[in-house]
Amino acid sequence: MTGWRLPAILAVTLLACAVSLLAGGSAIAPSAIARALEHPYAHDDVTTIVWQLRMPRVAIAAAVGAALAIGGALLQGMLRNPLVDPYLTGVSAGAAAAIALAVLAGVAAPVLPALGFVAGLLTALLVAALARRGSGVDPNRLILAGISISALFSAIVAFAIARSNSLDAAQSILAWLAGSMAGHGWHDLLFVTPYLVLGAALALLAVPALDALRVGDVRARAVGVDVDRAQWLILASTSLLAAASVALAGMVGFVGLIVPHVARRIVGSGARALLPACALLGAALCTLADAVARSVVAPSELPIGVLLAFIGVPAFLYLYLQQERPA
Amino acid sequence: MIALESVAIGIARRILVSDIDARIGAGEFVAVLGPNGVGKTTLLRAMSGIRPAISGHIALDGVALRSLSPSQRAQAIAFVTSDDAMIETLRVRDVVAIGRFPHHPWWEWSSNAHDDSAIERALLAVDLRNEAQRLLTTLSSGERQRVWIAMGLAQETPVLVLDEPTSHLDVRVAHEILALLRNLAREGRTIVCVLHDLNDAAAYADRLMLLGCERMLAFDVPDRVLAPELIERAYGISVTRVETPQGPRVFAAVRA
Repeated sequence: MTGWRLPAILAVTLLACAVSLLAGGSAIAPSAIARALEHPYAHDDVTTIVWQLRMPRVAIAAAVGAALAIGGALLQGMLRNPLVDPYLTGVSAGAAAAIALAVLAGVAAPVLPALGFVAGLLTALLVAALARRGSGVDPNRLILAGISISALFSAIVAFAIARSNSLDAAQSILAWLAGSMAGHGWHDLLFVTPYLVLGAALALLAVPALDALRVGDVRARAVGVDVDRAQWLILASTSLLAAASVALAGMVGFVGLIVPHVARRIVGSGARALLPACALLGAALCTLADAVARSVVAPSELPIGVLLAFIGVPAFLYLYLQQERPA
Repeated sequence: MIALESVAIGIARRILVSDIDARIGAGEFVAVLGPNGVGKTTLLRAMSGIRPAISGHIALDGVALRSLSPSQRAQAIAFVTSDDAMIETLRVRDVVAIGRFPHHPWWEWSSNAHDDSAIERALLAVDLRNEAQRLLTTLSSGERQRVWIAMGLAQETPVLVLDEPTSHLDVRVAHEILALLRNLAREGRTIVCVLHDLNDAAAYADRLMLLGCERMLAFDVPDRVLAPELIERAYGISVTRVETPQGPRVFAAVRA
């Protein structure tokens, strides 16, 4: 059924990456970019811009988009709730609180992504511990714990902003909350790559169970799914993917919420096609949004989180209301 | 064969029914009866290995149910429940295909020709072949009930355990489903299902298991279980028994 659709989505994603490579403060001809891609060790400005500035941005945007979209599809499937996103596990709120406090304490900027990553994962662990019931996870408790803990950490962020006595500190917290890929390079991507790979691998392990979970936990158990194991796999995968993306780009909202809805419309809700479709569409959306974010007000940048919210909210409302409309 | 020895079932630590001893042979059709809340669904879940019994021993062909892996258990026992889950955009065929889950190792992502034929047979059995591409959300509750049964059939297990398979069904479809289960039993499959209609149970099942007063009140052929005093004890209602050419039937005494 999905036949041509996945290759078509792949083509769209590659096109988005190409467009994103062309976008930027300095206008560079496509032929010059192609030459730079062919000769990565050439010593000229174009090669430096392409390989040290634009390529890492495209790769980071693609990784963040793919990670958030996969995480969203996993959690929406596990909880049978189309309104959750990967930040439900508290990852972003925990990371935001830790980074806000660290900025307030004057911690050096290069340490912040790693700190956000670790704090995000610890928060996800706390939420998972609160949601635990027996040897598995209670979906309702997970939602309640995720929302409560996120609210608590959001209050800590607000407190940190209110207490910051320098405009720079407040601005750097707000910039992080609005999401941006500015200033990140290959070394940042390299730092989170093992966690992205591990998160994606765990997602692959959960794929067959994810299909069965869509008809309810009891029926999933009846067809032989180890529901508890599948839930922990999905939570671990989502937390790793969300924490890695938060470390790379701060809070990038709506990708994890919207992309699974769009992907389901294109390839159906079978997890085997849905997860790859989500990864590709998430990558395409983020690379395009990042290209727009750094082009429209160049040489400064729009925060990608804000841009995605402007696009994402109307898109989500449209999709959701269309879906709810009787056939 | 399913064997239950001194089984007690319950929810959390509250025991609903205790001291259940029963043996159900291959090819037997057993209907589980009893008032609401007595523990019929809990018993079926314990017999299917989905929720452990509080105490006692449940074995399938001599092997303790709890020693089987989830996948091994699901290749032996299919459990069909009519509880409605919140369903996203799932098509009938996709749901029925989930029944093939236990027949694949986790790394095997694609279905094979045998899966396709099992799904087709299951859809045909419940008369949903023409509805295979419809969204589940567009089906009536009775049609959805048949989808869940088809999912259980697609599992191709020797034992089929069904929780109220005729709820939401009109009288014709209900009898078609019961006739289907009867035929499956004739082919050698073990059928255990919860039914609320005592006369349907008597008409189709080989034996009736009657639960009430926190114990198994009877497990015998319909002629012996449909005794007015037993039914009154279980349900707290007077019944009149009528002998028909098809066997005994009971009717609740109507109070004006």
